[in-house]
Amino acid sequence: MDVINGFAFKNMLLAAARHLDQQKDKINALNVFPVPDGDTGTNMSLTLSAATKELEQFGNGEIRRLASLLTRGSLMGARGNSGVILSQFFRGFSDGLAHVQEEITGEDLAHALATASQTTYRAVMKPVEGTMLTVARVAAEHAAQAAAQGAGALEVLQAALDGARQALADTPNILPVLKQAGVVDAGGQGLVCLFEGFLMGLTAAPEELEELLAEMAAPPAVEAVPQVEQEVSVNKYCTEFIILGSGIDPHQVRGELESKGDSLLVVSDGDVVKVHIHTDHPGQVLEFCGALGELTEIAIDNMRLQNQEFASHEESHHLDYSVGNNVIDFPVNSGQSEPKPIGIVAVVSGDGLAEIFKSLGVDCIVTGGQTMNPSTEELVRAIDSVNAEQVIILPNNKNVIFSAQQAKELAEKPVGVVPTRSVPQGIAALMYFVAEDSLEDNLAAMEEGMREVKTGEITYAVRSTVAGDLHIEERDIIGLAEGKIAVVGATPASVAQDLLRKMVDEDSSVISIYYGADLDEAAAQELTELISAEFPECEVEVYAGGQPLYYYIVSVE
Amino acid sequence: MGQIHVVTDSGSDLPVKLREELGIQVVPLTVRFGDEVFKDGVDLTAAEFYARLKQETRMPSTSQPSPAEFVEVYERIAKPGDTIISIHLSSKMSGTYQSAMLATTMIDPKITVHVVDSRAASLGIGVPTIAAAKAAQAGKSAEEILTEVEGILDSLRVYFVVDTLEYLQRNGRIGLASALVGTLLNIKPVLTLVDGQVAPFEKIRGRAKAFKRLRELGAEFRERNPGKQLKAAISHADNQTEADALAEALPEILDLQDEVVVGEIGATIGVHAGPGTVAVFLYCV
Repeated sequence: MDVINGFAFKNMLLAAARHLDQQKDKINALNVFPVPDGDTGTNMSLTLSAATKELEQFGNGEIRRLASLLTRGSLMGARGNSGVILSQFFRGFSDGLAHVQEEITGEDLAHALATASQTTYRAVMKPVEGTMLTVARVAAEHAAQAAAQGAGALEVLQAALDGARQALADTPNILPVLKQAGVVDAGGQGLVCLFEGFLMGLTAAPEELEELLAEMAAPPAVEAVPQVEQEVSVNKYCTEFIILGSGIDPHQVRGELESKGDSLLVVSDGDVVKVHIHTDHPGQVLEFCGALGELTEIAIDNMRLQNQEFASHEESHHLDYSVGNNVIDFPVNSGQSEPKPIGIVAVVSGDGLAEIFKSLGVDCIVTGGQTMNPSTEELVRAIDSVNAEQVIILPNNKNVIFSAQQAKELAEKPVGVVPTRSVPQGIAALMYFVAEDSLEDNLAAMEEGMREVKTGEITYAVRSTVAGDLHIEERDIIGLAEGKIAVVGATPASVAQDLLRKMVDEDSSVISIYYGADLDEAAAQELTELISAEFPECEVEVYAGGQPLYYYIVSVE
Repeated sequence: MGQIHVVTDSGSDLPVKLREELGIQVVPLTVRFGDEVFKDGVDLTAAEFYARLKQETRMPSTSQPSPAEFVEVYERIAKPGDTIISIHLSSKMSGTYQSAMLATTMIDPKITVHVVDSRAASLGIGVPTIAAAKAAQAGKSAEEILTEVEGILDSLRVYFVVDTLEYLQRNGRIGLASALVGTLLNIKPVLTLVDGQVAPFEKIRGRAKAFKRLRELGAEFRERNPGKQLKAAISHADNQTEADALAEALPEILDLQDEVVVGEIGATIGVHAGPGTVAVFLYCV
């Protein structure tokens, strides 16, 4: 195959999404730290699925259109750092195809892979070699060599895959942490799977392809539903549709619809405008937008009835995560009252922690699911939902910071990200929030404030590994100080004590303990008494965090 | 020319010794536990108040002196031709200022009374009152004294740490700090006074850190007022240890020439701030 037409291009992307979904557990297992929430494979798979879902819904055979859907879908669907990098990869890839008319040649493909690689490097502040960046770069280099020798599209892709595999195999030699953990880079493995999927999509026999893609019809099950938790919207109908037509000004649409309801989201992509609103007057909304262009994909759902239904089935439902679903509730806002100058969105897992953050003035809690990694789109929607002129995001997880920054770029309001890497950092940052101060002053003060606290996390190992001089068996209890494994032991309480011994010094004055969903108050109290006795000079406080997977989150300040 | 007298109320937390030395008249507020009524500082000392607070299940309340009580004091100390400078609790927090104002219309018009709204509480009233009494002893005119008092009040910064926001909240004196109520975490806010009412200054976790912050605020006040002579006072609600530690640290931080006045917070303020409170008063002269 010398060239790839629109039909084949679409198949290639869909097959890659399917393949990545099948391989995600294998990729998840490659995380350097054996903690139960580092899900690179899941994040990459969900990111690509969000993109291909757009392709399936709105894509025709036109390559440029497919490429732009791929970009938009992956940018909005990006979850976790690896998902964000993948979305930037697709963005560059699509940019590289911008000049393509009907068929992608080997040269086109090599060019697109090169721009994809460049975009990923630009997207991260401090590029680290031995990661998916390296894998993408080497793949692009091999593709360029093949193209220079006159190879067709398929051969170029094969060369890219070969290059990607070589680079992946080499990642442990570049990054000692990988070698020590006995793994290759998980994000890099994800990219290799992506190229494998591309090739499968191009080379599979028609019936194989049909079978492969048929499975795609069922969206990947998301184990825990990431959702934006808030008061129930006062407006009754979740209304979503697409306006087709060139030259539609999204700001005009937004301006007109703002008074009609809340949770308004207007996303424009040139000749397509996607509208989402919670309103009591769906007729008026459609009437207005129908005058601007052709309406399509109209969906109107009664959320009050759904909420009742959802509340009664919450435990058992496996829900779709993307736009087009109405389980995400947003706060009552726009048009209701004056927006405040600065609102706050925080990503938190666990009902106790969510309550604590709300009591500290957070307007909208975005609950991550098991992976704690909400998509960029969920963050954008949360930002939109807050009735404030400007918004501060507290990611509270190192794997969400990147999505938060991407959400900042995509949101219409001015947004600031305080790069909090843990729940205690988020709480420490909130101590410095002053509603009357400017966004800039708050960001500076909060970023400084978050450094006043040390974070410890106690969880279990999902696989055996070696970290420094610690030998860890699967299911061992491990304690992480500032995100690095510091202690291993048999019980959450003993690990918490050992970890705190490493964290507390003569300047420490407050120890806070947030116990997780798997522990009861009595166990936490018992630990608190032991800790108080051991560190009499510190105030020890204990709170029900309700977080999943982490027995305890502790902080020392 | 007549004599100048200085009057304040029991919300000023003036140490008894200073008040006697300087001949300052203190009009007491009323403190109630249920139907038991006390005059703050007259039949209820600070120590008695905090001891009782520990045993009581009833929440105490305070009420301002009546205009008649002010009239009684003003007419007892002054004769026609005399001037009274009467410095009182922030009018945003108490009706005491209002009572004193009313009293001025009820007394012998030949007695001149200047009622000053301190826009402060505790030693924030006590400090300018002491200065006024000293200036009066030194023979300064009422105008000069009032200028001095206003100067102190204008430069005054008050920072305080309460053990719990509960007392401020229950008595409706929480002002702008109400935003801090309902936080699930054990926050030790550093509070301040803005426009005569309580306002949050900073949220801090842990008492040790809050006290460290009070010392830092002293250093910041020094930096903001280069070349000026600074003074400081500390008042505390049944918390001598932490107040003394702070009093020891402040002279060096602020580059003080005088020693720090330390006063005990009596029932009037104690009802609203709660035991454990420590307040710092910083000002320029």
